[in-house]
Amino acid sequence: MSVEAILIEIVDGHGRMQLCQRLRLTEISRKLTIGRSIHADVILDDPYAAGLHAAIEVMPDGRVVASDLGSVNGVVVAGKRYHGVRELDLPDNTLQVGRTRLRVRTAREALDPERPDQLRPAYLLQQPAWIAGVAATACMLQTIYATWLGAPRDLVAAVVTALGLSVAVIAAWVSFWGLLSRVMRGEWRWARHAAIILSVVAAFTALRGAVDLGWFALALPPWSHRSTWLAAVALGCALFLHLTSASPLTRGRAAQIALLIPLMIAAGNQWLQERSQRRNVNYIGEAVRIYPPMLRLSASNTVSDYFGHSAALQQAADGRLASALANEAADDK
Amino acid sequence: MFRCLFIAAIAVWLATSARAQLPAAYAAPQATSQDARNVLTVVGPALIQIKGFFGANTAQAFHGTGFAVAAGGIFVTNYHVVAERVQHPDKYRLEYRNVDGETGAITVLAVDVRHDLALVRASNYAPASLQLQTSPGAKGERAYSVGYPLDVGLTITEGISNGKVDDSFEPRIHYSGAINAGMSGGPALNGAAEVIGVNVAGYRFEQLVSFLVPVEHVLALRDRSVAPQSDDSLKQEVAAQMHAHSGDLFRALEGPIPTQRVSGYALPGKVAPFIDCNASGSPATEDPVQVVRVNCFAKAGLYLQQGLFSGDLRYAHYILTTEKLDAWRFAARLSGLTHAVGNYGLPRHVGPYACEDRVVGLKGFDAAVLVCARAYRKFVGLYDLTVRVSSLNGLQSGFASHLDIYGVEFNPGMAFTRRYVEAMEWKP
Repeated sequence: MSVEAILIEIVDGHGRMQLCQRLRLTEISRKLTIGRSIHADVILDDPYAAGLHAAIEVMPDGRVVASDLGSVNGVVVAGKRYHGVRELDLPDNTLQVGRTRLRVRTAREALDPERPDQLRPAYLLQQPAWIAGVAATACMLQTIYATWLGAPRDLVAAVVTALGLSVAVIAAWVSFWGLLSRVMRGEWRWARHAAIILSVVAAFTALRGAVDLGWFALALPPWSHRSTWLAAVALGCALFLHLTSASPLTRGRAAQIALLIPLMIAAGNQWLQERSQRRNVNYIGEAVRIYPPMLRLSASNTVSDYFGHSAALQQAADGRLASALANEAADDK
Repeated sequence: MFRCLFIAAIAVWLATSARAQLPAAYAAPQATSQDARNVLTVVGPALIQIKGFFGANTAQAFHGTGFAVAAGGIFVTNYHVVAERVQHPDKYRLEYRNVDGETGAITVLAVDVRHDLALVRASNYAPASLQLQTSPGAKGERAYSVGYPLDVGLTITEGISNGKVDDSFEPRIHYSGAINAGMSGGPALNGAAEVIGVNVAGYRFEQLVSFLVPVEHVLALRDRSVAPQSDDSLKQEVAAQMHAHSGDLFRALEGPIPTQRVSGYALPGKVAPFIDCNASGSPATEDPVQVVRVNCFAKAGLYLQQGLFSGDLRYAHYILTTEKLDAWRFAARLSGLTHAVGNYGLPRHVGPYACEDRVVGLKGFDAAVLVCARAYRKFVGLYDLTVRVSSLNGLQSGFASHLDIYGVEFNPGMAFTRRYVEAMEWKP
């Protein structure tokens, strides 16, 4: 008489095993009962289960089937509830009895190959909590610098206010992603989400400052949307990292979302700004960020060179008026 | 009771003592109310109230005053009284109402935008013309202003003629008397009921500082033409006068631009006599950055239509210095002044700005220079110019200069802009 082992796992909503019980089947007895009764083979602590609620059986061909033993709530298989069912196939070897989810594993199931585990030293900076701490320090220093740059009358009060606001915004953002992680993957992952947003904000702020400084040093022509597009890149990075951490999405799908949403936001924002600027007859551009004179690298234009383009300026003004009139005519239609 | 008697006794004592101090040659004035009544009796029949109506409405949109200056029902009023009708002839109509309550239609014959005058004809009403006196009289002479203020009926106010305003771009007579809304276009007269000027403006929040258009411009307009013009030709006339005004404005600004030195920078000062400049700053030192503000106004603007003053020029300098801030924070503070909007316009009058923004080497220092231009919709060839200059050389001192020019021809405007920028200099 051959003996076959069977494993009954109680799993949570995310499919992770919470409890397991190894049982033996013989050729004579290949059926197991499940319920709250002491006479059941698998005993559940579930008020929504009957004493002897359901039975599972491993057929000779290896299929696992389930039967309802006359319970009130029946059994749930593949999201559908069955009452009084007999020898119902379990497509993924899982069923729900009462509110308990069970997974049946037999010896005939093929196991995934063992994953290679390359031993790496556990650097402190590879741990989310440490990354979050370093990034938070960087963000705090940047906030203090930005406040200090404005030379407020009461620097301490201004710094405290700015830091308080920043903390509130970051906390709200991390809470959202933590909640999503908890729902989608069963874990809050506070440190990881905090590390992501703080690192992205610190990098974005540093990059924007460097770009502004470079623009001033090289006296590049104005591009008023550069902050918008830098922010879009930062948002894309943050979304990708949050999504891969908080949801079961594949990296490819997460990358698509992280590319598409910031692109739409930035393009929409640019379109709205340009439309508003075209219609705002008082708009003369955004304020230029000025830095100390020793940081300038480019040569200046001569007055003759500058005012030599005045005819082009007149044409541009006429063109903008003609464009505004054409837009109005189109709107009227 | 005792208090009232005491106050009365003091008043009698003050009156008698003041009379005793007057020179013997002084003659007591006659009762002025009689003069005012005489003036009103003479000019009353020659006055009309001019009312404007939007579309077919019977409720008025605006109103002013006019007075007869030639036979055949020819009246003078202010251009700004009839401006909406001139600019929007399909939207507005004009009517008159004389002292007897009779009404009729008004036709605009000619306009003088630069002096805010218009010649109109009243249908079926041709009273005798008023006498015109080209001399405003000596400062201090008694004068009267007549009109329909706030639609409360024919009114005369008494005041003093203070002669022509010094250093005004367009000639004006300073009248120290009340001129209120609705009296625009009415006559200002001397004691002999001769017209010395046309009511045109008053400061709403000042005390009896009002202005008249001198009579010689009325004569020039009256003698120009009394033939009716088409609506389009009137608009073209307004545009042509704006172009002429622009030319005169920049001719008056020719010559080297005088500068004033502040914190090492030489910046444009009072460019012409008609430009008013004032300077201010905060004497308090608790602010880490000290700011000196210099504001200059040409006050050469002309009223074209509702919401549109044009043909004017103004500039301002903001000179910043600090002893408490380092170069980084000082530069950040200066950044806030580089693109400040100052020249507000309405989309129905002007198009959007086109701008040129570069770093330019000026005398002794580099500066970020922004020049913007926008075209007028209905006045072809007229532009608003906006200039922003920000110094880039100072570690603890710097300036931002804002120049705004309204409704001028492009090339003369840019030529002045260039001279304005070239006049700036760093002389530590």
